[in-house]
Amino acid sequence: MIRRRKLQDFSTELRSHLAMEADRLREEGFDEVEARRQAHLNLGNLMQQEERFYESSRWAWLDQLRQDLRYSIRQLRNAPAFTLTAALTLAIGIGATTAIFTLIHAVLLKSLPVVRPEQLYTIGDAKRIGVFSGMEGDWDVVSHDLYKYLRDHTDGFYELAAFQADPRRIGVRRSGDAHVAESRIAEYVSGNYFLTFGVHAFAGRAIDADDDRPGAAPVAMITYRSWQERYALDPSVLGATFNMNGAAVTIVGVMPPGYFGDGLRSNPPDFWLPLAIEPVVNHAGWVNNPDLHWLYMMGRVKPDADVKTMGAQMQTGLRQWLNGRSGILGPTAAAQIPRQTLHLSRGGSGIGAMRATYSAGLQLLMAISGFVLLIVCANLANLMLVRGLGRRKQTSISLALGAARSRLVRQALTESIVLALIGGAGGVAIAFAGTRTLLSAVFAGANYVPISPTPDLAVLGFAFAISLLTGLVFGVAPAWTANRADPLDALRGSGRVTQHVGSLPQRTLVVMQAALSLVLMAAAGLLTQSLRNLEHQELGFRTGGRVDVRIDPNLAGYKIDQLEPLYRRIKERLARLPAVESVSYSLYGPMSGSSWTTDVSIDGQPPPAVDGQNSTAWNRVGPDYFETIGTRILRGRTILESDIATTHHVAVVNEAFARRFFPKEDPLGKHFGARAKFSKSFEIVGIAEDAKYRQPDQPVFPMYFIPRSQVTPYDEAGTMAFEARSLYANDVVLRFAARAGAMEEPIRRAFAEIDPNLTVIRIQTFDTQVESQLSQETLIVRLTSLFGLTALLLASIGLYGVTSYSVARRSKEIGIRVALGADRKSVVGMVLRNAYLLVAIGLALGIPIALAMARIMGARLYGISWYNPAILAGSGIILAACALAATIAPARRAAALDPMQTLRGD
Amino acid sequence: MSTRVALLQGTLDLLILRTLLFGQQHGQGIARAIQQESEDVLLVEHGALYPALQRLEAKGWITAKWGVSSNNRKARFYTLTPRGRKQLAAESSQWRALAAAIGRILGSNEGSS
Repeated sequence: MIRRRKLQDFSTELRSHLAMEADRLREEGFDEVEARRQAHLNLGNLMQQEERFYESSRWAWLDQLRQDLRYSIRQLRNAPAFTLTAALTLAIGIGATTAIFTLIHAVLLKSLPVVRPEQLYTIGDAKRIGVFSGMEGDWDVVSHDLYKYLRDHTDGFYELAAFQADPRRIGVRRSGDAHVAESRIAEYVSGNYFLTFGVHAFAGRAIDADDDRPGAAPVAMITYRSWQERYALDPSVLGATFNMNGAAVTIVGVMPPGYFGDGLRSNPPDFWLPLAIEPVVNHAGWVNNPDLHWLYMMGRVKPDADVKTMGAQMQTGLRQWLNGRSGILGPTAAAQIPRQTLHLSRGGSGIGAMRATYSAGLQLLMAISGFVLLIVCANLANLMLVRGLGRRKQTSISLALGAARSRLVRQALTESIVLALIGGAGGVAIAFAGTRTLLSAVFAGANYVPISPTPDLAVLGFAFAISLLTGLVFGVAPAWTANRADPLDALRGSGRVTQHVGSLPQRTLVVMQAALSLVLMAAAGLLTQSLRNLEHQELGFRTGGRVDVRIDPNLAGYKIDQLEPLYRRIKERLARLPAVESVSYSLYGPMSGSSWTTDVSIDGQPPPAVDGQNSTAWNRVGPDYFETIGTRILRGRTILESDIATTHHVAVVNEAFARRFFPKEDPLGKHFGARAKFSKSFEIVGIAEDAKYRQPDQPVFPMYFIPRSQVTPYDEAGTMAFEARSLYANDVVLRFAARAGAMEEPIRRAFAEIDPNLTVIRIQTFDTQVESQLSQETLIVRLTSLFGLTALLLASIGLYGVTSYSVARRSKEIGIRVALGADRKSVVGMVLRNAYLLVAIGLALGIPIALAMARIMGARLYGISWYNPAILAGSGIILAACALAATIAPARRAAALDPMQTLRGD
Repeated sequence: MSTRVALLQGTLDLLILRTLLFGQQHGQGIARAIQQESEDVLLVEHGALYPALQRLEAKGWITAKWGVSSNNRKARFYTLTPRGRKQLAAESSQWRALAAAIGRILGSNEGSS
C-alpha cells in the first residue's frame, strides 16, 4: 500500500504545474501576466483542488474523527451536569444488571462442570440437609441400605450414585507433618459416584467400586484447590498417607480444577471418601444403619428411558423397602408407609442447597435488575432528547452555513459513543466491584464460594450494547430530524410547542419510577427497623465476652466411656486461661446453627396423637452452663456437677416449656420423657429464662436441658443411635471477664495440650453467632436499601430529564408569559407544579402498592407492624425532597430565560 | 478551440497510462502530450488531471518521484508500474472493442449527412 501524500506535497506539485504551464504559454507568445492568468484558468480553483485532494485521503476521515472527538469531549465538559447524569445512569444500569445477573446465572442456571449434565437426575428436592430417621413424606435423603435397594430395583439408569447430603468437617493431618490436625470438609460418596458424573481424576485415579467395599484399603481424593493452596501442587501428595480423624487414608487422586462437587455450595468439600470407610473415619457407622437417612442420590439416565416410569418404579421400591422394615419402625410409622412419595427431578445443575435457599430472592433481584436496565435506557433517551433539542438552533445554523448533513449526524454519533464509553467504563467498574460485593454479602461467613467473582462477559456485553444502542438512537435522532427540516424553519423558530410536557410514555415512566422508589424505600425502612429490633432484642442469654468453641470428640475417636474425663479436663484446663470466668459445654450452644428436637410425653398427660404435636427442643449441658451463657434460672436449681450418669435423671425446662405443658400447674417435680413408654425419664428440677437457640425472629420454642451424661435406655436402634451421639457435647462455651482481645490462640493451644487430635472446628464469639443467624436479614435489608437508593436516584434523573425537556420545548411559551408580566417566581412555580404533578401521581400509585407489599412482608417483620405511617411518610418526604433537587435546576433555567431572546426566535 | 472535445468519463485514466508508456512524465507534460497527440482535439482539464493521477497512484498503477524538468523546474514525475502496464493493455482492448461497436452503429448514418 502506498503511503498517502501530504497536502503540502500536492500543493507544490500544483504550483510547479502552474509554473511550467506559464512557461509553455509564454513560449507560445503570451505575455507574462496573460500566461499566468491562462495557466490558473486552466487548472481551476487551486483551493478547491487542494480541498478535493484532502477529502479523498484517508487522513481526512481520521482527522475529522479527531476533530469530532475533541469537539465531543469539549461539549461534554461544557455540560458537566448532563455528562455526569448520563454517564452515571449508564454506569448504574450496566453495572448493577451485570453483577446481579452474574450471580443469578452462577447459582440458578449454570450446569455442573460434568459430561452431559442433561442426563443427570436427582431424587427429591434436597430440602433435608443432615442425618434423619423416620418417615420423610416426600423423600430426598436415604440410608445406605435404601440406596442399594433402589439402585438394584430401578431400570433406566446407567449408574445411580449416592453421596453425603451434608459434608462435614473432619480433622486432617498429613502423616509426618508436625502441625496439629486441620479441620477440612469431607464428603462420603458411593464407588460409582465419579463414573456417574463422568468426571476423571486430574492426577492419579478416581475412587471406584473396588474402593467402596467393606474392608477395602482406605483411600480419598483431594480437590485441586486444596492441593494447590495447602500443598502447593506437591506431586508427593499422591500416594501419601493422611491422618483423617485418626484413620490412615491414602490419597489416590486429584480432582480436576474447577470441579466443585455435586452441587454449588459455599464451603465445598476438600476431600472425597468412599462410603465404605465412613465407619473408620466418621466413627459413627451411618453406613451400616439402615434407618439413618443421610445420602442424596444422583443418577445418569439412559437416553431411551422414560423418567416418569422410573419415578413410579422407585416410589414402589421405596414402599416395598419400608414394608420390609415396618417391624422395626413400629406401628405408627408403618401406618404412614402408603403416603410416602418420591420423585425424580433434573439434576444437571447439581444438588441445589444454595439454589433452594436463594432462588426466590434471586428471581426477584433479576426482575428488579431488568426493570433497572429498562429505566436506565428510558432515562438516557430522555436526557439525549433534551440535549438534542437544546442544540436545535445551533444545528440549524450549521446547516444554513453549509455544513454537510452527514457530518452533523456523525458529530452527534461521536458524542453519543463517547458518552456511552464513559458510562460503559463506569459500568464495567461497578460490575466488577458489584459482583464481588454481592458474592461476599450473599455468602457472608463462607470460607470459599465456588463462584468466580468475574462478571459474566455475555451479560456485560449485552447490557453495554443495549445502553450504547439507546444512546446512539436517541443521540442521533435530533440531528437526524434537524437534517430533514428546512434550516430556515428551524431558524425561524417553528416546531416549538406550548402544551406538551414531555411525551406520555416519558411521563408515565417518571410516575412509575417515583412509585417504585417509594415502594422500595418504604420496604427498606420497614426491614431496617425490623433488623434493628432483631439485633437489640432480649435473647435470653448474654453475648458480651462469651465465646463458643466447636469440637467433635467423636471424630477424634473418643468412646463414650472416655467422655466424662475428657470434659472434666477441658473444663478444668480452659478455666485456667487468663481472664476466663466460667467454662461449660453443651450438645449445642445458642445460635450455633444446630438444633435437636423430639416429641415429648408428659407423665400424667395423654401421649401425642400425631407426630410433631409435642415437638420440643432439647439439649445436653454441663455444670455451670446457664451461668456461663448468662441465662437466669427463675425457679428451682440448675444442672450441677453432681448430676452424673448414675444419679437421678433430672431436667431444667424453659418458660415456654412450662407454659406449653403445665399452663395451670407447677412444673417443678413433674416427670416427662421423649417417648410415651419413657414418660417418667426426667424430673423437672428447675425453670430457666426463655432463650433463643434458633432463628432470632422466631418465638422461643419449648426446650428442656438434661445433664450431658444421663442416658435413657431406649429400645429402638435408631433412637438409641441418636441418644449415643448426643453424649458428644460439641460446643464448649467460655465467659471472659473483659473483652479479651486475642483469646483464639490461647484456646487453640489449650486444646492442643489436652489432645492434639481433638480438632478445634471453629471459635466464634456469641456476637458473631447472632450476626450470622441474621446474615440473610442483613443481606435483604442491604439489597433493598441499595435498590431503593438506585430507584430514587433513577427517578430523580428521570424527573430532571423530563422537566428539562419540557422547559426546552416550552421556552417560547415561557418567554411570552414573562413578557406578559409573569414574574420569575410564578415561572418556577409553574415548572415545579408540573413536575410535582408527576410525583403526586407516583405517590398516589406507590402508597397502596407499598402498603400491600408491607402487608405481604408482615410475616418477616419483627417487632414492627406492617402498617407504619411514619416510615411511609418519611419515604414520601425523601422522594419529594429529591424531586425538588432534581427539578430546581431546570425551573431556574426557565425563570432565567430572557423573554426578548426567546421571542426573537431563538 | 471549438473543435476541442471534453473527455469521456473514464478515458482520462486510459490516456494517462498510455502517455506514460513512452517513459516518465510530469503532470503538465502529460496534459500537453495528450493534447498534442490528439492533434488538439482532446481537451484535458488540468483541474481533473491531478485527482486522476492521485487515483492511479493509489491504485498502484503508477508511481511518482520528484525530479527536475527540461526547463529546470522542480516537477513530480510519474512512471508506469508493471501492474499499470497490464491495466493499460486490458483497458485498451476494451476501449477498442467499445469504439468499434459504437463506430459500427454510427457508421450507418455517416453517409446520409
